[in-house]
Amino acid sequence: MNGPIADLGAGVLSKLVRMGEALLMLLQAIAVKPKTSSLPRLIQQLYVVGVQSLIIMLVSALFIGMVLGLQGYTLLAAYGSEQAVGQMVALTLVRELSPVVAALLFAGRAGSALTAEIGLMKATEQLSSLEMFGIDPLHRIIAPRFWAGIISLPLLVAIFSLIGIYGGHLVAVDWLGVHSGSYWGNMQQAVDFNEDVLNGMIKALVFAFLISWTALYQGYSCVPTSQGISAATTRTVVYSSLAILGFDFILTALMFGGAV
Amino acid sequence: MATDDIINIQNVSFYRGDRAIFKNLNCTIDTGKITAIMGTSGSGKTTLLRLIGGLLQPDEGRILLFGQDIAQLNRKQLNQLRARMGVLFQSGALFTDLSVFENVSFPLREHMNLSADDLYNRVLLKLEAVGLRGTRDLMPSQLSGGMARRVALARAVAMEPELILYDEPFAGQDPIAMAVLQRLIKHLNVQMQLTSVLVSHDIAEACAISDQVILLGDGRVLAQDSPAALQASDDPAVKQFIHGEADGVIPFHFPAPPLQQELRGQSE
Amino acid sequence: MNKRWLELSVGLMMVAGVAALVALALQVSGGNMSRNAESYAITALFDNAAGLGPKAKVTMAGVTVGEVVAVDIDPNALMAEVHMEIYGQVNYLSIDSSASILTAGLLGEKYVGLSVGAEEDVLVDGDVIEDTQSALVLEELIGQFLLNFGDNK
Repeated sequence: MNGPIADLGAGVLSKLVRMGEALLMLLQAIAVKPKTSSLPRLIQQLYVVGVQSLIIMLVSALFIGMVLGLQGYTLLAAYGSEQAVGQMVALTLVRELSPVVAALLFAGRAGSALTAEIGLMKATEQLSSLEMFGIDPLHRIIAPRFWAGIISLPLLVAIFSLIGIYGGHLVAVDWLGVHSGSYWGNMQQAVDFNEDVLNGMIKALVFAFLISWTALYQGYSCVPTSQGISAATTRTVVYSSLAILGFDFILTALMFGGAV
Repeated sequence: MATDDIINIQNVSFYRGDRAIFKNLNCTIDTGKITAIMGTSGSGKTTLLRLIGGLLQPDEGRILLFGQDIAQLNRKQLNQLRARMGVLFQSGALFTDLSVFENVSFPLREHMNLSADDLYNRVLLKLEAVGLRGTRDLMPSQLSGGMARRVALARAVAMEPELILYDEPFAGQDPIAMAVLQRLIKHLNVQMQLTSVLVSHDIAEACAISDQVILLGDGRVLAQDSPAALQASDDPAVKQFIHGEADGVIPFHFPAPPLQQELRGQSE
Repeated sequence: MNKRWLELSVGLMMVAGVAALVALALQVSGGNMSRNAESYAITALFDNAAGLGPKAKVTMAGVTVGEVVAVDIDPNALMAEVHMEIYGQVNYLSIDSSASILTAGLLGEKYVGLSVGAEEDVLVDGDVIEDTQSALVLEELIGQFLLNFGDNK
């Protein structure tokens, strides 16, 4: 009898199976001694995954910082506290917006590209070819892309924060007349390296892990047809985004939950 | 079992979900010959090739490759066996970010320690054998489908294997390309003393060059004989396939209730 | 893809990322990473510690010298007991220092301000500040104002 409850149960079970497969794939891919011969591949992937995401990060960071500066100024001016805009922009970016927005952009740009690339390699039997040549595609193809993601995103998040803060400075100081010294001074008082900057970096690392893992598994396990690849790419973006937002809440609660 | 058999398939069963692709399949591939594996779509031809290559594992039974049970081998031993065989995938499966030269030299770089000159010469010779020496600096995206397949063939024979598996080599090719491939398969088999196994449903082309044909259907071997014998066969399933008949053992109509029952507006 | 440009750009990206992190450390967060140097604990008793909570700043002459760790009730004195961690380098708080609960800006964030006294001996781990000034509570302020206002009439 196939009632809706049976279907739900089957659905949950199949999701669990997929998660198990994903974990096995990841463990197999990364549980290997690093060799110097795999460095060129890593650098190649750092370029594809990291450098090619720079433009979207820089532009987004600039505009988000500028908007924060503008909105922040308007809100704070009502209380006569517009000098605090620097600290508002910095804290918002460093704690929350940089890791989350950069991760969402990364999932959309780099994550979907990874899934599509691997899916296409699967569909054109390049992965099987590698296996027949005695080369483990998990080590050769999956692993460099995974590490490239883990390394790139935190770097991009740091750059994102800095550019965003500068964007806020452009608006608040250069345009709206907030005192530059106050902008940076209040910021330095309020932002703590360990509490704020480092916690933001930890978030970035967690997000990088989630995105890279999801993107690579979806590509590796997709149905090897053009429709299958397209579905897998969509899943990468959706699952990554949900995971980012969900883990952001958990991490924020853990890191900043107790603070006043 | 004679030591003449390079591949030995014993009582192999393979399931995809609930569906049995093979049930108790038994056949052997003779060394030094060209064997064609044929059957309708879905009869499991490509699956059989993947089973032989160790990309899939049988659910029951065993497959002996070069006399060794591939399910019992660890990764390293399996790769050693794989180094003795070449595979030509249906789509060529050239690595899209490498040039033709780099594609053909790929197995040589990975498995052998050749000097740059030796490597270069070997690659050129293999490309020459398939008639594409002039394309060595092109990228796969710049090749036609037939040419890509030939480059993939050059890559498959780069390590001078003892066995080659071809997955639908003639599918979707124009008559000239087909003739070229036929000539190449035959030539390589003789010149390099290979065993060739090709999976195909192009009866004329496959029968023209094969020494033996294995016809698959219903998850088992329907017939295993020389092409001539198969052409003359009386078995209805074999006849339908070989002579390309629209209706026969494999029916034209997909199973459905009688037409009268399904039409609308009919009085009972 | 030119290999040299590829490696160069990856290198640049990594340098930029690390530089951004350093900039964030120095320029943005004021580089107070030396928090984890030796710090010592002191407490202060207040009549009213309304609005003061953990992680609030402890300052002296406007400069942050520590943070509030916990605020609870001292059952013996029936007063609010504020536990503070003071940075190790700040070892010049005299034992007659006073502590006040102040409000930072109009948004109302409470913090503790310390004022050094005249004694030679300094506060060490475990000491208690006795001279304290409680938090200003709005209702009391209004009450006081009305009282004075009423008096002057």
